[in-house]
Amino acid sequence: MKSKAIVLILIALSLTGILAVYSVDPSRGEGWGESLFSRQIIWNFAGWLVFLVFSQIDYHQWIKRGWLWYFLMVLSLGAVLILGEGDETGSHRWLFSQSVQPSEGAKIALALFLAHYFSGQRENFDFWPLLIKSGILSFIPFMLILKEPDLGSSLVLLVTWLGVLFVCGFSAKKWAVIGGIGGGLLPLSWFFLEDYQKDRLLSFINPEKDPLGSGYHILQSQIAIGAGGFTGQGWLSGTQSQLYFLPARHTDFIFASWCEQLGFLGGMLIIGLLGALSYLFLVVAARSPDLEGKILASILGISLLFQWTVNIGVNLGIMPVTGIALPFVSYGGSSLIVNLASAGIVYNISKSEGWENWKL
Amino acid sequence: MWDDEMQERVNQRITYLSRLFLVILLVLTLRFWYLSILRGDWYKQKSEQNRVRVLSLAPIRGSIYDRDNQVLAEDIPHFRLIFEKGVAETEEIEERVERILGRELSPPFPERGVGEIILADQLSLEEVIKIEEVQNKLPGVMVESYPVRHYPGGEPFAHVVGYVGKINAEELKLLHSEGYEMEDRIGKTGVELEYESFLRGEKGYRRIEVNALGKVVRVLDYRHPCFKNSIVLTLDQELQKYSYELLGNRNGAIIVGDPYTGELFALVSKPSFNPQLLSRGMSTEEWNALSQNQNRPLTNRPLQALYPPGSLFKLVIATGAVEEGLTDRNRKIFCPGFLDYNEWRYPCWRRGGHGSVGIEKAIAQSCNVTFYTLGLELGADRIVNWARKLGVGQPSGIDLPGEKTAFLPTQEWKERQLKEMWYPGDTINLSIGQGYLLVTPLEMYRVVSNIATRGEVYKPHVVKEILNSKGEVIKKINPVLQNKIELKDETWDTLVRGMEEVVNSGTGWACRGLPVKLAAKTGTAQNPQGEDHSWFAGFFPSSHPQVSFLVLIEHGGDGSGEAAQVAKKLVEWWEKERKVKSEK
Ligand SMILES: [Zn+2]
Repeated sequence: MKSKAIVLILIALSLTGILAVYSVDPSRGEGWGESLFSRQIIWNFAGWLVFLVFSQIDYHQWIKRGWLWYFLMVLSLGAVLILGEGDETGSHRWLFSQSVQPSEGAKIALALFLAHYFSGQRENFDFWPLLIKSGILSFIPFMLILKEPDLGSSLVLLVTWLGVLFVCGFSAKKWAVIGGIGGGLLPLSWFFLEDYQKDRLLSFINPEKDPLGSGYHILQSQIAIGAGGFTGQGWLSGTQSQLYFLPARHTDFIFASWCEQLGFLGGMLIIGLLGALSYLFLVVAARSPDLEGKILASILGISLLFQWTVNIGVNLGIMPVTGIALPFVSYGGSSLIVNLASAGIVYNISKSEGWENWKL
Repeated sequence: MWDDEMQERVNQRITYLSRLFLVILLVLTLRFWYLSILRGDWYKQKSEQNRVRVLSLAPIRGSIYDRDNQVLAEDIPHFRLIFEKGVAETEEIEERVERILGRELSPPFPERGVGEIILADQLSLEEVIKIEEVQNKLPGVMVESYPVRHYPGGEPFAHVVGYVGKINAEELKLLHSEGYEMEDRIGKTGVELEYESFLRGEKGYRRIEVNALGKVVRVLDYRHPCFKNSIVLTLDQELQKYSYELLGNRNGAIIVGDPYTGELFALVSKPSFNPQLLSRGMSTEEWNALSQNQNRPLTNRPLQALYPPGSLFKLVIATGAVEEGLTDRNRKIFCPGFLDYNEWRYPCWRRGGHGSVGIEKAIAQSCNVTFYTLGLELGADRIVNWARKLGVGQPSGIDLPGEKTAFLPTQEWKERQLKEMWYPGDTINLSIGQGYLLVTPLEMYRVVSNIATRGEVYKPHVVKEILNSKGEVIKKINPVLQNKIELKDETWDTLVRGMEEVVNSGTGWACRGLPVKLAAKTGTAQNPQGEDHSWFAGFFPSSHPQVSFLVLIEHGGDGSGEAAQVAKKLVEWWEKERKVKSEK
């Protein structure tokens, strides 16, 4: 049942993503292959292929090779920093002439590695050495991605690590220590942020102060969502996205574009689909017969939950702009394929669930 | 066993997670609800402001006409070529336009509005037609007309009509609430300023939809700019021009008008300036040269310049002396050519003296000794009071900006300001319009006009009618009786007879031989700047006055000379050109 539900929700999200990209595609009238939405369709095909493959491979096979993924991840992230190609925002995120974004792959690679690492030493749960060692190992890719700079993806890695600590039952006392160190480091980290990232944080605190500068994104996206009202301004007819007032309208702010056209109802559809999917990930984790499956499904669930709630939170103006895309919906191949791969893994875990002792 | 315990713990954590998830979901939904449902209308408005730009189009100002509907100021459309950037390659369009017009354009092109540039300005009508014939080959290019102020009347009318200019920061601050914006034209002086609210016209606008790049998506709606009101002046174009010419290369002022209505037919100030140049906008150097010119061409002399009135002021002394019974037709004062007072000798202008003269002859001959005597008898305070009564030292309320009023010296003023006592010599000087006394030409014009009407004081004005856009009169400026000066008949008779004698047998000999009976008074005002100012003011016909006039020529010498000769030509012109008209 749950496995079928996962597939149905994924199909709905894929279609939503294609429609959403189509609705803000400035080149939608142009030929096949030229327009953004046609590329999104192609990526969907590729993504579903990946999903099929991953859903059929026993998830233990992935977890077993945790260290391999870890080294591949660090290697490719290092390569990005050395050989990486820039994009229009000036950050270096790409390899192979802008076709592969290793930071997307890192999201799944770290999850696999952590599932392997933690499930292999369950006797050390809630002990400092495991916490510290896993922390250092996670910190390396975190810093590599932060250097690109890609704040959003590096935060996903951070949350994945925190997620595994939480799921593996680390006690409240240790959380307090982590929180304390984190809180102490936060002001320090200000000095490591790029100027544009500082701007984003400052403008989040007061977007009206500089409505044409950094606060622009936040304000324009709220205007788009607000102007959509309950039922939206109609398919393809919102002025915020159609007249380009809304920046990144096919990537980070695709939710706002969607809501301008289809309103609160349309927005709740996306929230409902992503909410249900994250919930199912947690359900699969809870019912997984072994610890490996539990850890992996739950941290993939946490990662997904984190990504979409932060993205929508940014769109709604209650979180600072971090550059996290909306999973399955935002335009972009790497992220779509990686998300479908994660879903494939969770699907595979769901197939081996022990449904009988489910209670949540 | 141990593993089960571990799994239990993990499951518990997952349960916590799903609770946290519900909280996050609730927060997002509430915020979403707040934005799109509670504040939806506010954000809709914001998004409207984002996409709609309003380009305002300059209003067309109303015209200004003389009393016979001759144009003195009007807006004329000029044409310029606007190109909407991004519709096509700017270089490509530039080349095509150059080929069509057959002349080089001069980049860089000034920006105008949102994403628009001005390719060429001051297009001729032929050029406009050339462009419009091939409009379809010029995407994004449009011919736009805009109004430019023209002043066909030129220099003679510059002070009355005024000129317009770009609104400055101060004006903008003051008038922002009335819809003025940067770059708007506004009346700077004269009727253009005084009647700004009528002349201003109504703005048009073009509401356009733009995208975030400022590119015009489409025009949403359009309203033509239009004009509201035109103004008809009381000025007589031909008389104004003629008066201006009569002054020749002299500086001075001429005022001609109807004493019974307050209408002014001519209000001339010389030297003048070219209002066209000022409206177009001047460089700082040009402006400085004009505003610091020693001849002060920007000053509207009839109401903004102060002069000693000289003998013209004797009319005030005569009025006071007769009305207060100090003198009458029987009292004669002997003029030996001077008056000795406290060891000082004050001369009459005729060295040999006038002998024994009555008040009328004293006016006619402008005998100083008579007026010294009467002035001393009246005393400075009463002289000043009589001046006030006749209209000196009070604003006339003329419908032109910047009117000044006389300086009337008093004992109190002298003691306070100069720390000196008021000597009888000061009163003696005041009696012949010299000393500290300063007046505007308009005030002295008012004095003779009030004598012409025997005390009916009318508010002077230069605007006759206000028309609507269809040319219908919506407001007629009616005569305003401001005051009635109640004097004995004997006083009026004495003044008029004296002024008639000025021309018949006295100092106004230059005006003899006119076909109409004139009542007038000469004035010669000594001044520290050089040769005397020459005054001549009066009215005609003396029995039933229809026109009153004043001529002032700076440094024109003796009042019986130049000013009177100019006045004679004015009266002749009037009798020849306007008498029939006014008698109808
Ligand atoms: Zn005398």
